Amino acid sequence: MSSRLTDYWNPFLETLPRERLVKIELKNFHEVMRYAKKKSVFYRKKFEGIDPEDLKTRDDIKGLPLTDKEDLRIAQEREAPTIYGDILGVDPEAVCDFRQTSGTTGKPVYVPETYESWQWRVEVWCHILWMAGFRETDRVFVPFGYNVYVAFWEGHYAAEKLGCEVVPGGALDTRGRINKMMELKATALMNTPTYGLHMAEEAKKMGVDPKEMGIKRIQCAGEPLPKATHNMLEEAWGAEVYDHIGGTEPCAWAAMCGERNGLHIMEPFFLVEILDMETLSREVGAGELGVAVVTPLGRYSFPLVRFNTQDVVRRGKEGCPCGRTSMMITEVAGRADDLRKIRGVLFTPVSVEEMIRKEFPVIFEYEIVVQKKGIMDEITLKLEPQEEMGADAMAELTARLTEKLKMKTNLRFNIQHAKPGELPRYTLKSKRFKDLRGT
Amino acid sequence: MMANDIRDNEMGLISELKQKIVEIERLVFELKGLGRGVPVVEKNAGCILSFTHVLRFGISDLVEGSDGKGG
Repeated sequence: MSSRLTDYWNPFLETLPRERLVKIELKNFHEVMRYAKKKSVFYRKKFEGIDPEDLKTRDDIKGLPLTDKEDLRIAQEREAPTIYGDILGVDPEAVCDFRQTSGTTGKPVYVPETYESWQWRVEVWCHILWMAGFRETDRVFVPFGYNVYVAFWEGHYAAEKLGCEVVPGGALDTRGRINKMMELKATALMNTPTYGLHMAEEAKKMGVDPKEMGIKRIQCAGEPLPKATHNMLEEAWGAEVYDHIGGTEPCAWAAMCGERNGLHIMEPFFLVEILDMETLSREVGAGELGVAVVTPLGRYSFPLVRFNTQDVVRRGKEGCPCGRTSMMITEVAGRADDLRKIRGVLFTPVSVEEMIRKEFPVIFEYEIVVQKKGIMDEITLKLEPQEEMGADAMAELTARLTEKLKMKTNLRFNIQHAKPGELPRYTLKSKRFKDLRGT
Repeated sequence: MMANDIRDNEMGLISELKQKIVEIERLVFELKGLGRGVPVVEKNAGCILSFTHVLRFGISDLVEGSDGKGG
């Protein structure tokens, strides 16, 4: 077979001219809407009086109401025959997998999957892993107990479907995992960026250079991956590092190809709108930031129409040197619900991570806490250096960091110091930002 | 060769793939019907249909004029 066919998981779909992609997406959008109205009480009410056939273009879709995470929470709190509330799109007996959101922003949302909808999710991940170069020759180590969180389950099953050999690495501590990876000669990893950095740090403490462990590629999940963190991970492991964006409710909806320069929207599995942050009514142009609104197409157990992901992303152009024709995202800037007003200034924690990883490699771990002091907001950054530092070096670091943070965020931070190893290490989603003003 | 040129040549293959997916679905529905009440048949046939759902999405939809259901 020519490389044209084997370079892509689905060479026909991934290189389809855009007008055909858009046509397929609209057709499948109609199908999802029709299905949701028929099978889900939640959507029957939400779309009362709306005929899917009246929606002829992407612009027509803008008139439909959004679905927020809070809508899902409320739907699942209502009296209903199942724990999934009145949003469930199939008979309860057809549900074969339970997953839930992490609960970072509130009560977790329960997400049901049928065997069919689960295979649809796995297929999306097959595209993601194939793009990232995962192949039959890889032994993939997943250093987590996956529990009820979806991303690593999806990655596990997709890697298996690709023909990789998958090693579930839960029920071990970090050193145990590093030893197992070396023992089994793992060639690929799936982890959160934070845990990838932590494992590299632990390996070094064990006298092992992570670069010598034979890991060729790492698929990240669970957290944002700013460019500077991406570079740190690639440097630490001597491996190619791949990012994606998604969530438990809609699935992963954009991912990196071998160019590692932006994310491809997984068209036509999803109809993705990137809307202006003020009104959520206009699609932004290339180069602009917007909020991603995602409709998964082809998954019916938990129908979602125009799900407001709250992910703030920068829209790129269409196409890529890799030959894929899907729309691109050039930056994941953070989450709209992470945006905070502190002393009247808009602040997003990702901007601090980007700066620290890029300009302060001496800082290994950090935590940001916002709280009220009287009527004033106070923001503190607690930093943990890679190793013990002398008083002079720490004073110099503090002064430089304070100045850079002020320039970057327009906020004056209090800087506190933690001893090496004092701040928490995270395996799944990190919680480095704490807003305690409402508590 | 440009990807678009190859794609034009591939439409015949895609149509043939779609036809096979339709046939497999028809056969599996028959199998499921024949084995109604027999867990090993019903459940495994159901699993196969989940995979043809994915194939319909990835292949059958590409055929111009397809209704997305492989038919």
